[in-house]
Amino acid sequence: MVSFSSFEFLFRFLPIFLILYFAMPKKYRETLLLLGSLVFYAFGEPVFILVLIVTTIVNYSIGMQSWKVGEGFSLHEWQKNKRKKYMMQAVALDVAVLVIFKFLAVFVDHTLLPLGISFYIFKMISFQMDICRGEVWSKPSFQHAAIYFTMFPQVTSGPIMRYHEGEFERERTWSLEQFEDGLKYFVAGLGMKVLLADRLAILWNDLQMIGFQSISTPLAWLGAFGYSLRLYFDFWGYSLMAAGLGVMLGFDFIENFHHPYASKSIAEFYRRWHMTLGSWFRDYVYIPLGGSRCGKKKLVFNLALVWLLTGFWHGNGINYVIWGAVLGILIILEKMFYGKKLGKIPVLGNLYVLAVIPLTWVVFAITDLRQLGIYFGRLFPFIGGAGLAVNPQDIIKYIQNYSVYFIVGILLCIPAVPGYIEKHKKNPIIILLFVVLFWTSVYFLASSAGNPFMYLNF
Amino acid sequence: MNFIKKCPFFLLLIGTGLIFTIIGIAGRMSIYAEQEYHPLTTPVLAVMFTGINDGIYPWQVFAGESAQTMAQGNGAEETPKSELEREQETVPEEDGTADALDAPQPETDVSANALAKEETDTSEEETEESEENEGQPEGEDAPFEKIEPARASTQEEIQNHISADLYGDAGVLRAAEYEFSAVDESYFDDALFIGDSRTVGLRDYTDLSEHADFYCETSLTIYKVLEEDFGGQGTVEEALENNAYGKIFLMVGINELGRGTTEEYMAEYTKVVERLHELEPEAKIFVQGVMRVSGEKNSSDAIFNNSNINARNNAIATLADNKQIFYIDVNEAVCDEEGNLIKDYTFDQIHLLGAYYDLWKQFLLVHGVTDDAAG
Repeated sequence: MVSFSSFEFLFRFLPIFLILYFAMPKKYRETLLLLGSLVFYAFGEPVFILVLIVTTIVNYSIGMQSWKVGEGFSLHEWQKNKRKKYMMQAVALDVAVLVIFKFLAVFVDHTLLPLGISFYIFKMISFQMDICRGEVWSKPSFQHAAIYFTMFPQVTSGPIMRYHEGEFERERTWSLEQFEDGLKYFVAGLGMKVLLADRLAILWNDLQMIGFQSISTPLAWLGAFGYSLRLYFDFWGYSLMAAGLGVMLGFDFIENFHHPYASKSIAEFYRRWHMTLGSWFRDYVYIPLGGSRCGKKKLVFNLALVWLLTGFWHGNGINYVIWGAVLGILIILEKMFYGKKLGKIPVLGNLYVLAVIPLTWVVFAITDLRQLGIYFGRLFPFIGGAGLAVNPQDIIKYIQNYSVYFIVGILLCIPAVPGYIEKHKKNPIIILLFVVLFWTSVYFLASSAGNPFMYLNF
Repeated sequence: MNFIKKCPFFLLLIGTGLIFTIIGIAGRMSIYAEQEYHPLTTPVLAVMFTGINDGIYPWQVFAGESAQTMAQGNGAEETPKSELEREQETVPEEDGTADALDAPQPETDVSANALAKEETDTSEEETEESEENEGQPEGEDAPFEKIEPARASTQEEIQNHISADLYGDAGVLRAAEYEFSAVDESYFDDALFIGDSRTVGLRDYTDLSEHADFYCETSLTIYKVLEEDFGGQGTVEEALENNAYGKIFLMVGINELGRGTTEEYMAEYTKVVERLHELEPEAKIFVQGVMRVSGEKNSSDAIFNNSNINARNNAIATLADNKQIFYIDVNEAVCDEEGNLIKDYTFDQIHLLGAYYDLWKQFLLVHGVTDDAAG
């Protein structure tokens, strides 16, 4: 049920929640949002919901002690220091909780990682630091802080909204048009997830089934591009669904992806990819360390640290660390040497991004280092050799089966295409397209829900 | 009016959702009676979509009123002829619909299953005929003795999608009496392979396709073997009409494990083998035992496990007469002592990795039937 693209969510939780929410007098709606979010989370994590509740209470109480230190506009030095002390305490606690559960997941059992903990702990850290910096403008009530940490559109996979972006102190304005807009974002995201990402996932699954040592070099590249598109539409789709839900409830739209594949450098790609995470690292790690306003040595160190942490944050395998390190190195190289030149020559930057990013996603995808080596051997056969029982014609079959997903996916990577749809979202044809999109997604969900496998056919 | 202007998309979704819900509710009584539906987790409109997936279209709901009354009368093994005919009259658009009405248990693929049932009745007659035919030509040897099932599937087995082991190893043992010989690759020059995604793997990851023809398709079942178009290649019947094949290799059975009973599978398999024999009387037909799944899959899956596979393999093995029809089991080459697919040979616990299809090819190369060795 915690997946937005499940029948339980689409046809049970969401409609019931929305009816109750809008039937309720305005003053009870916030309470209902909190309760609804807890119910939602409890379906996914009936036990570890305790971790969410305890960290919420602890973070709120430390945050309020910090808040009380200086309610005025100008703070004395001692007040700042005291706030800083509270902040450090809370952040240390939050980081400890995250690290402990990550360790448990790696060394004991991967089921011990509570759902969404990486996201809600990051929100909590952001909350503490924003209070310390005076970026939380009015005193948060417990209810508002709890909604911020637990709200169901964001609790499992972000976006990592900032507290002030929630505009909790104001009564949320709400209109039918806004609800309609939110619904469209949601359906667009659902379509991307179900009709693109889930289809392209089968391609990757097929490559694993064949075994990387037996795929041809063209198929290995197709697989790398396919995986890149799948990851993009999985996460962009999810983020659109989450943001759309927020808009339906009266929150502002939170942008998490801004056409990353149109970037001209890796650094730019990651300013446009999972933007709420990128800006989180920028504001709460990179800038406090000194950012780029310090010597070259320090800058390199700061970037390296941020990207190693990013790697650790994403997963539990050593491949994620390698992935983060490679990106860190590329971004450092861009910053020191060729970044500016890339931007000046048209198309070159784009080609560089389109060639390098899929390769980094391959590192991200394959947790087994030996298998990762085999895959790169197939991508670059002059290093990796001939492979085993390779069928040189395999690419034809896969192009036949997947070209439609690649074409639609590539079109959606071009900023003008989603831009056009967004601009004409009130056009009756676009509206009908969205209706068809929704029910086609439901069709695919229905036909794969009846069987116990994601991909039944053998 | 204002409402329509402000949120037309929302209203359209609600509107279409209501229509689909009504179709779903109405269809639950008739055409969607066999679609699985869990009220707690799925909306009733989902049955319309799973129905479409099975080839049952919503507009048939309106033709469904008369069908509804018939659905209640059915469920027994034998459908009176008149009723069958009547069904075809009421719903002329789609084959599957009429058949779906009399499938007694909830199945995933209703149309195919019901089809099989219908076929069971007719194939009985065919069986008798062809048995007579078969006895004649190899008159000098003892006539082929049909192994009868020891029992029928129990209600419990049917409900839990357990494939009953009705035949034991009698068929497998008899088939193993034949002494296969080693052959070289030219042996496959007049061979035809028919199968599901596993056979697709054999085609794509060995060089057998340089010798033999492959009619294989992911998700193929025994119920579809004779109708399937194989992505534009044509049907098996067309292939047999246009070419003279000396060997036909068949491996189908994993996709339909959750569907129907051992009896139904066996009946359909028998029918297919007989039809192949009829179309190409000279060809040796190799009934290949379905490849098993890995131990991990075996112990975690209620349907796609090795006891179900073995039960069905035991059934089809009885078809082997060791003269025209042979049973071979590639599991000997790819399984461990416990009879599970060796885990290093597979990623998804079901298919061989590309590099290991050669084991299957090598197995076939030492399970040849040559004319001088026959008999």
